[in-house]
Amino acid sequence: MNYILEARDLRKEYPNKLALQGLNLQIEPGEVFCLLGQNGAGKSTTINLFLGFIAPTSGAAFVNGMEVAANPLKIKEHLAYIPENVMLYPHLTGLENLALFSSLAGFKYKEAELLDYLHHAGLPAEAVRRRVGTYSKGMRQKVGIAIAVAKHAKVLLLDEPTSGLDPKASNEFSQLLTQLSAEGTAVLMATHDIFRAKEVGTRVGIMREGELVDVRPTAALNAQELEQLYLTYMHN
Amino acid sequence: MHSIAQKEFVSTLRDKRFLVLSVLVLALLLAATLVGRASYQTLQQERQLAQQTVNDQFRHQPARHPHRVAHYGSFAFRPRSGLSLLDSGVDSFTGTSVFLEAHQQNSVNFSQAQQSGSLIRFGEMTVAFVLQMLVPLLIIFLCFGAFTQERETGTLKLLLSQGVSLRQVAWGKIWGYSRAVALVVAPALALAAALLFGTEEFISGTDLVGRLVLFVLSYAVYFFLFIVGAVVVSAVQASSRAALVTLLGLWILGCIILPKATANLGATLYPAVTKAQMDADVHEEAQHGINGHDPQDQRSAALKAGLLKKYGVDSEEKLPVSVGGIVMSESEAYSAKVYQQHFADLNATYKRQNRLSDWVGLLNPYQAIRPLSMGLAGSDFAHYVHFQQAAEAYRYALVQRLNALQTSMGYGDKERKLDAHTWQQLPLFTYQAPPLGWALPRLLLPVVALLLWAVGLSWLGLRLISNSRLA
Repeated sequence: MNYILEARDLRKEYPNKLALQGLNLQIEPGEVFCLLGQNGAGKSTTINLFLGFIAPTSGAAFVNGMEVAANPLKIKEHLAYIPENVMLYPHLTGLENLALFSSLAGFKYKEAELLDYLHHAGLPAEAVRRRVGTYSKGMRQKVGIAIAVAKHAKVLLLDEPTSGLDPKASNEFSQLLTQLSAEGTAVLMATHDIFRAKEVGTRVGIMREGELVDVRPTAALNAQELEQLYLTYMHN
Repeated sequence: MHSIAQKEFVSTLRDKRFLVLSVLVLALLLAATLVGRASYQTLQQERQLAQQTVNDQFRHQPARHPHRVAHYGSFAFRPRSGLSLLDSGVDSFTGTSVFLEAHQQNSVNFSQAQQSGSLIRFGEMTVAFVLQMLVPLLIIFLCFGAFTQERETGTLKLLLSQGVSLRQVAWGKIWGYSRAVALVVAPALALAAALLFGTEEFISGTDLVGRLVLFVLSYAVYFFLFIVGAVVVSAVQASSRAALVTLLGLWILGCIILPKATANLGATLYPAVTKAQMDADVHEEAQHGINGHDPQDQRSAALKAGLLKKYGVDSEEKLPVSVGGIVMSESEAYSAKVYQQHFADLNATYKRQNRLSDWVGLLNPYQAIRPLSMGLAGSDFAHYVHFQQAAEAYRYALVQRLNALQTSMGYGDKERKLDAHTWQQLPLFTYQAPPLGWALPRLLLPVVALLLWAVGLSWLGLRLISNSRLA
């Protein structure tokens, strides 16, 4: 089986903390894998390891079959990333930010195409030519989504992506993820939002103290059961 | 890289803090250029007029004895180099004119500093001052947050997730900041070039073009160093605040403390004799030669005896030449030799002092650009010494020519005078500043220092950036 994302005994240790202990994970194209867990459980560490932003203490992460540590730039061609708090360049407009990040990824879009991406991400038309310094967190998040979508990556790495989005925008984002998943894009999403995970995820993984303690297909659970399972692990 | 450069350039231009700072620096540069030009024109006109006046006075002397003319003397005024409007170098502190007379090697006097208020000692607001001291400050304020702000705001991760390396980001930033700095500096240099080449005297100045091109290139390398340095410091420091404090500390160390410390160390290691001491030493040593004004001088008597023997006559009256003229000539040759030796010793001391500072340029780019800038502008110590030596060579040749005239007058010359027309045949002092080819070998060390810095900092700095942390 060709996994688009794979972690083999992935371990990250800091001087005073074990952030991730022996993670084994495989994600297929088109799958939406949601990582649930409290702050400090290791969700963001997992995403950072797949992005190559931090080096593993042991084990290895793979993107599209390539080891991340050995191919730090190459693997990014297959990845798009949306952090919890998308920070953009405040002196540039939303349109200019999208054009910049797209060009860095190797895409030279025409203005109409850029506007289209921003429109589909839900950014109001009146905001696209305004400097990002005047944007709300939700508006920045939408530009971040447009940046990720415009990259046409095989994998989306999302770290609390709906943080700061209003319910309508969150719902639209869920629909977008479902659409991308149907087109074969794999998604690894760290989230606290159990209901969003149940809604868009194909599998959920529960992390606790750097360990992936449970993995379930979302089809096998309803939202209440997932919440109960999550709380059980947290209380134990 | 181009996208990042463009982003930095546009972001910088839209940043009001940068706009205010850059407008201030640009205004200072333009003002310094215009003031430098006005000062250059005024001084140049004054010196040309003064030179013409003393030349006229010298040539229109009445019938006189040649030695009287040698003591009447003349003045040599040092013309300013064209690029001194950008960097006045040591010109303000060295003299502008020297009195040329027999037996005496006078120093160059009447510097601007002597004639101005004490404020000039704090440094002039020249283009070079702004370029060497203030533009680096602007660069520091522009670049200190190059990486720290990206880390603090979280944009760096998003940037790198697009598949660019830290090294590419760094080069993009360096290129973007370079364009912003060029935008601030270029108008002033363009104005300076227009002022320089817009006047008749510089129309065919290929030497000046070469100097200006190298001047601009040197500063381009200097600014590049500050930009790379600031970006590297920003990449390795934990916060913007720490990066700013580090960079300001380095600026103070490099632009203020080290140059002063080096100058003091140079003066301590290689102490120079004072002007008074040197004059006294020359005077004392010259006593060992023939004294042309002392008829009782034993060496004069010996020379006279030798002449009588040479011409096979028994009295001075029968000699075809003036003994006085030959004695004067011998005396002049001896005192000039003594002076040249002391002058060479003093210059060697100054050179050792300056050399120390030049070597420190390998550690401190400010101490590399300063001598390079002055040297290219023709306002450094070497150009000053060149003028001094040209003036002394003229003085010596003039006095010896007058001594030869006296010699040819034969016995009893002191009772006679030469026609006023004679003085119009004597050459006047004209000074041709040395060409760029003369100056360049003297500037090799600062050039090498700047280039080594550029290559070394780019190589090491970018390695540091590649290994710097992301968050």
